Amino acid sequence: MLRRIQYELSGHLVGPALLRAKEWRRRRSRRGLAPKAGPFGPPLESARKLKELMSLHYLQGRFADGAVPVAWVTSGFPVELLRPLGFFTLYPENHAAMCGVARTVPELSDAVEKEGYSRDLCSYARTDLGCVATGKTPAGRLPKPDLLACCTNICQTVLYWYKALARRFGVPLVLIDTPFVYGEAKPHHVAYVREQLEELVSVAERVSGRRVDPQEFVAVIARAKEGSRLWGECLATARSRPAPWTGFDGFFHMAPIVALRGSEACNAYYRLLLDELRDRVARGTGGIREERHRLLWDNLPMWFAVRELSTLFAEQGFNFVCTSYTNAWAEAGVLVDPADPYGSIARAYTHIILNQDLTNRLGILRRLARDYACDGAVLHSDRSCKPYSIGQVDLKDRLGEELGIRVLLLEADHNDPRAWAAEPGENRIAAFMESFG
Amino acid sequence: MTQTLSTDSRERAFPPAPSRRDSIHRQRDAHGRRSMAVLPIHYPKEILTALDILAVEVWGPPGPPRGEAAGRIQSYVCAVVRNALAFLASGGADAVDGVLFPHTCDSLQGLATQATDLGGWGKAAFVFQHPRGGERPSARRFALEELRSLARELEAWTGRSLSPELLAAAIRLHDEIDSCRASLLDGRARLPIGDPELYALLRRGEWLWPEEHLAELRSAVGRLGPEPAQTGLPLLVTGYVPEPMSLLATLNDAGAFVAADDYAAVGRRVVRRNGVADADPWTDLVSRHLAYPPCPTRGIDQAARMRHLVSLAEASGARGVLVHVQKFCEPELFDVPAILAAFTARGLPVLVLEGELERSLSGQAETRVEAFVELLRARGRAA
Amino acid sequence: MSGAAALGIDAGSTTCKAVAVDEAGKIVGRRLEPASPRIDEQASRLLAELRTEVGGDPPVGATGYGRKRVAASRVLTEITCHARGAFALLGRPGLLIDMGGQDTKVIRLGKGGEVLDFSMNDKCAAGTGRFLEVILGRLHVPFDEVAGQVRRAGRAVSVSSTCTVFAESEVISLVARGEPLEGIVKGLHAALASRVAALARVPDGTELFMSGGVALNPAMVSALAEALGREVHVVPEPQLVGALGAALAVA
Repeated sequence: MLRRIQYELSGHLVGPALLRAKEWRRRRSRRGLAPKAGPFGPPLESARKLKELMSLHYLQGRFADGAVPVAWVTSGFPVELLRPLGFFTLYPENHAAMCGVARTVPELSDAVEKEGYSRDLCSYARTDLGCVATGKTPAGRLPKPDLLACCTNICQTVLYWYKALARRFGVPLVLIDTPFVYGEAKPHHVAYVREQLEELVSVAERVSGRRVDPQEFVAVIARAKEGSRLWGECLATARSRPAPWTGFDGFFHMAPIVALRGSEACNAYYRLLLDELRDRVARGTGGIREERHRLLWDNLPMWFAVRELSTLFAEQGFNFVCTSYTNAWAEAGVLVDPADPYGSIARAYTHIILNQDLTNRLGILRRLARDYACDGAVLHSDRSCKPYSIGQVDLKDRLGEELGIRVLLLEADHNDPRAWAAEPGENRIAAFMESFG
Repeated sequence: MTQTLSTDSRERAFPPAPSRRDSIHRQRDAHGRRSMAVLPIHYPKEILTALDILAVEVWGPPGPPRGEAAGRIQSYVCAVVRNALAFLASGGADAVDGVLFPHTCDSLQGLATQATDLGGWGKAAFVFQHPRGGERPSARRFALEELRSLARELEAWTGRSLSPELLAAAIRLHDEIDSCRASLLDGRARLPIGDPELYALLRRGEWLWPEEHLAELRSAVGRLGPEPAQTGLPLLVTGYVPEPMSLLATLNDAGAFVAADDYAAVGRRVVRRNGVADADPWTDLVSRHLAYPPCPTRGIDQAARMRHLVSLAEASGARGVLVHVQKFCEPELFDVPAILAAFTARGLPVLVLEGELERSLSGQAETRVEAFVELLRARGRAA
Repeated sequence: MSGAAALGIDAGSTTCKAVAVDEAGKIVGRRLEPASPRIDEQASRLLAELRTEVGGDPPVGATGYGRKRVAASRVLTEITCHARGAFALLGRPGLLIDMGGQDTKVIRLGKGGEVLDFSMNDKCAAGTGRFLEVILGRLHVPFDEVAGQVRRAGRAVSVSSTCTVFAESEVISLVARGEPLEGIVKGLHAALASRVAALARVPDGTELFMSGGVALNPAMVSALAEALGREVHVVPEPQLVGALGAALAVA
C-alpha cells in the first residue's frame, strides 16, 4: 500500500531535468547562432501527464521504504513476478538516465572512481553507485531496497553492478540468468530460465511477506503484455509521413513501459499518448516541422545531449522515426501468454534484442529501416555498453550495402558527457547530414 | 598458429615444448585427433579430451591486432576480444578444425556472434554457457544439461561416442593435472625456478595434449624442495592472464616473485578436490565445474571471492598484491574496489596494473612495478 | 674540499637533471638540460662535469625514464627517489605531486619519508605538463606571460575536453567565439588541475607539496591549490628533487 502524498510543485525528475537541459542548451548556444523559431512541431500535450506520472512515482519512492517492500530492478527483469507481491520497484537505469540528462554524472562517477571503479565501466552503473555513495539524486531521495532483482538478458554487467549493490545494502539478490541466444534458444536454456523464475518467487515472497496470488499474477502479465502492445502502437504511428513525434521523444516516453510495466497507470498513459499521436497523424502534424529525411537510431541515447542532438538534426529536417532501443519494449510482450505464465515469461525475457545474436539484430534493424521508410541511420557506438556496441562496425556496412542507406557510426556514451567530444562529433553529424544532398 | 613465447633464455629450465602449430599437427598426424581453438576462460576441457579433441586456447595473441578485421571491433573493447577477432579472421587459427566460445562475458559473447554471423570464422563453431550465480538447484541442473548438450554436439562433429568410461577417465586425468598444478602453485616458494620459467611451463597446458602436459608437470613437481628456495618478496597476483610474460621477469628482477596466483588463465582454473565427488561421471563433471576457485565471470558472491583472495595472501605470506587487469574488462574491474578495500583493511599494499595484451611491458608499467617492489622492500626493512 | 659525497642523475624523458651532494645531503652542484635521445652519453657527460666541478669520485644513483642506461651504483624508480628527495628537503609527511613534461606522479609520504602509496598518470598527455605546453604554444602564449595572464583573468573559461587534442580544437573555437584569452588560459590551468586532483585523491589533513618543472608555473600551483582546497608548497628547486633523491640513495 503506497502512501498518498500531496504532490508539491517543487517537482523533481523528468520535468525539471528537461527544463534544466533546455536551459543549459539555451545558455550554451552552439557557434553563436541566433536562436531559431524552433525546428520542432508543437510539443506533445501528453508530456505533461508523463512528467506527473514519473514524478509521482519517484515522490512515492521517497517514502516507500518502511511502508512497502522495495525492489531495485534491472530494466529487463520479469517484473511481473514482483508486482503481485506489492513491491515498490525502482529502476536504477531509469534513475541513472535522469542523472544523465541533468548532467550530474561526472560528479557521481568521480565519487566512485575514488574507490577504485574504472571510468571505462558502464556509465549507468557508475552513476547509480555514485548516487548510492553520495546520496545525491534529482529524485530527492531513493528508497533503500529490500531486494535486488537482476536479469542478465540486457547484459552481464548488471550482475557485477548488482553484486556491488548487494554488498553495499546487505540484501538478497535474485538473479534471472538468461543464456545468450545464438540462433535458437535450446529447450534446456528456456527450462533453466523458467526454473529460476520459480526459485525467485520463493525469495521474493519471503522478502515481501506475501504470497503470489495466481490470478493477480495472470492479470499483471496480461496488463504488461497490453502495455507493451500499446507502446508498440505508439511507436508505429511514426510510420506515417511526417512522423508525429521524434525518436528522442520516444526515449523519454518509454519511461513507463520500463519502470511501471504491469501497472494500470502505465497502460492508461499509453492510451492517452496513442490518442494524441493518432490525432497528430490525422492532422499531418509532425514531430519536426519540416521532415526531409527519416533516420533510424541504434543503441542507447546520449542522455546528456538528447535535446542538443535532437535540435541539431531537426534543424536540417532529419527525424529519428524509429530506434532499436524503444522498439525493444514493444517486442518484449509478443511472446507473453497469460495462459502459460511461467513458460511464456521465460521465453519472452530470453528473447529480447540484446540477448540474441547479431543475425537477429541485423534483421531487426533491417526491418525497422524498411517499415519506417528510413533513408539513413545513426549507430551510436556507446563506449561503455559492449553488448549493444560490439558488431556495429559490421552492421553499419551491412545496412548501408543492403538497404542503400547512409549510415553514421557515432562514438560517444550513454550517460557520461566526458566521453563525447562534442566539437568533432557535431562536425561529423553535420557532414553526415550534408551527404544527403 | 603463430603465437610464440618470448625467447628469454631462462625458459630453458624445462625442455622446449612444441609450438601450437606443431602440437596441432602432431596430434592430428599421429593420433587422428581434431583440434579446437578455445576462447577464455572456463570450459569443459574434460569433454574435449574424452572425445580426442585437442584444445588450443586463444589468449590474444599479444600485440596489436593485425589484419583487416582489426578495425571491426571498436577500440574501447578489450584486447582479448579485439585481438581474437583479428586473429581468427586473418586465418591465424586455420590450422584448427573448430572454435569453442565459452560465454564468459558481454565482450566474448559479442565476439562469438560477430565472428560466426558477420564474418571471421567459417568453420565449425560451438558455444558453452555456464550458469551464473552459484549453487542454486537450477544452476546445477542447467550445468548438467549444457554439458550434455555440448558433448552431443561434439560427438556429432567428431563422429565419436562419449561413453561414461571415457568421460570418467578424462576427469581423472584432469584431476591429476590440477593436482600437480596445485602442488606447484601452493608450494611455489619451494620451487627453485623463476616465474618466467614456471609460467611458461604452466601455460603450455593451453595447447599441449593433456597427457603430455601431465608428464612435464610431474617432472616439475619433482623439483619441489623441502625448504623455501625463493628469496624474493612474495606477492599475490590476481588478474586475467600473465601477458606480457616479461612482466614476470620484471617482477623477479626487481626482487619479488609470485607466491600466490589468482590469474584467470592459471590459478583460477585449478580445481582442488580430494578425489571424485560422484560415481556418475556427468554429475562428477558438474561438481568439478562448480569447484573452480571464485571467478567474477561466473557470478560468484563477491564476499566469497574476497575471502578466497585473502586466504591466498595469508597462506603464501604475500607482502603485497598485484592486480593485473585487462583494460575494459568489466568482470575484473568491478571487483577492484572490493579488492582494494579487503587488502587495505589488512594493511597490505595493492598495485593495480592495467594491461592491453601488449607484447612487452611499457617503460611506464615497468616503473610502476619496480616502484611498488621498492615500496614493499622499504616497508619490510622498517618493520 | 673533499668533493661530493654522491651524485644523482634523473634521466627524464623531457629533461635530464644531475646533482652532486655533500655529506650533509646538501646540493653543491647541479645540471639541467633538455633530454637527449643518447641518454648514456648525456648522463656520462653531465656526471663528468659535476665531478670536475665539485671533485671526488663519488657513487652514482640513477633514476628517471632512462635510468637503466646510466652507469650507476644504484638504480631506483622516480617514485622512490622523488619521495626521498622531497622528504630530505621538507622533513615531514604529506602528498607530493610531481608534474613533469610528460608525466604526473602523486606520492604519499609517510612520517619517516617512506612511500605509502603512489599513482601515475602516464598514458595520457592531458594530465601532464604537455597539455599546457601544447595548447599554450598553439595560443602563442609565452611561458613567462602565463602567470600574469592568469592573474589578470576574470572568471575561468571552462575547457571540458578530456583529451589534449580535442581540448586544442575546443580552445581554438573559444578564441574564435571571442572568449577572453586570459580566461581561457586560466580555464586550461583549472582543467589540468582538476585532472591531477582526481589522480591525487587527497585524504583530509594531508599537506600538499609540488615538484617538477610545472611547479615553476605559479598559475599551476594556485590552480592546484584551488582544485584541492588547500595550500600547495612548492619544494625548493622543484626539478631537481628526483636527482637529489637518487644521490641520497647512494650517499
